[in-house]
Amino acid sequence: MAESMGNLRRLVLDVLKPLDPSIVELVQFLAEQRGVDGVNISIYEIDRRVENAKVTVEGHDLRYQEIVSVIEENGGSVHSIDEVAAGKVLIEDVETSQD
Amino acid sequence: MKLLGRWSQGIDNLREYERIAGFWQIARRALANNAFDGVLTMVGVVMGQWIGGVESAATVILTGIATSISIGISGLWGAYLAESAERGRELAELEKISLTDLGETKIGRASRVAVVVVSLVDGLSPLASSLIVLTPFFFAALIGDIIVSYVISMALALVCLFGLGMFLGHISGRSLIGYGIRTAIAGVVAIVITRLLPTN
Repeated sequence: MAESMGNLRRLVLDVLKPLDPSIVELVQFLAEQRGVDGVNISIYEIDRRVENAKVTVEGHDLRYQEIVSVIEENGGSVHSIDEVAAGKVLIEDVETSQD
Repeated sequence: MKLLGRWSQGIDNLREYERIAGFWQIARRALANNAFDGVLTMVGVVMGQWIGGVESAATVILTGIATSISIGISGLWGAYLAESAERGRELAELEKISLTDLGETKIGRASRVAVVVVSLVDGLSPLASSLIVLTPFFFAALIGDIIVSYVISMALALVCLFGLGMFLGHISGRSLIGYGIRTAIAGVVAIVITRLLPTN
């Protein structure tokens, strides 16, 4: 599957990572990737050696595999893909009556 | 230009590995400790030959170099085994928690670099410091009297110890001279005690 098809614009990943390298370093490594306009990492659980982070990446034509490689190279592992958005415009999650 | 780029990339990588594995502090401690050991061991070797009446500079050099090599290997081997066991355990613990193979990640590489750096510092610092104490014997022919070589060698040992003390003083942010004197006193004590040994 070609990486660039469909114009991937947003990725929200649940990542387990060691405390070092810190999220300050990781966020900058991710921001340097092709197509990335902005990155946010927030920690929601912290342990003695590892932490759980929500990594949000936004941009144009994001390269999923490259982003995951950067996370793995820094010792992290992607536990789940919690949200994705692709296409010409960025669509937010729509609230429905079922919600 | 390409070489310069690679060099600068190498330095950047080393800094990053240091941030991850934090080996600089250990290496610094190993440098001070082992250089101290190297100088004092050589004080013992040289003093032993002095009071034993050895007058051949070649003999002093040979014994000295053999001792230096042994302390160097001791430092290198000991540190490699200890450090790799310790780092291996840490990495395995982290891999167990994160359920990930970290061997080929930055963390794995930082851990391996830490082992190499600490081992090299542990091995090379006593080797270099002990060889410094031996240098007057390389110039024994120029110096003339072998006793003068012995005296210069011991003076050099004290200077090295003083320098090491200053290094420690610099690290602790305290008095350089105070630390220098404290480490040099160890050399004086070693010299005085070995001088008091009975000779035939």
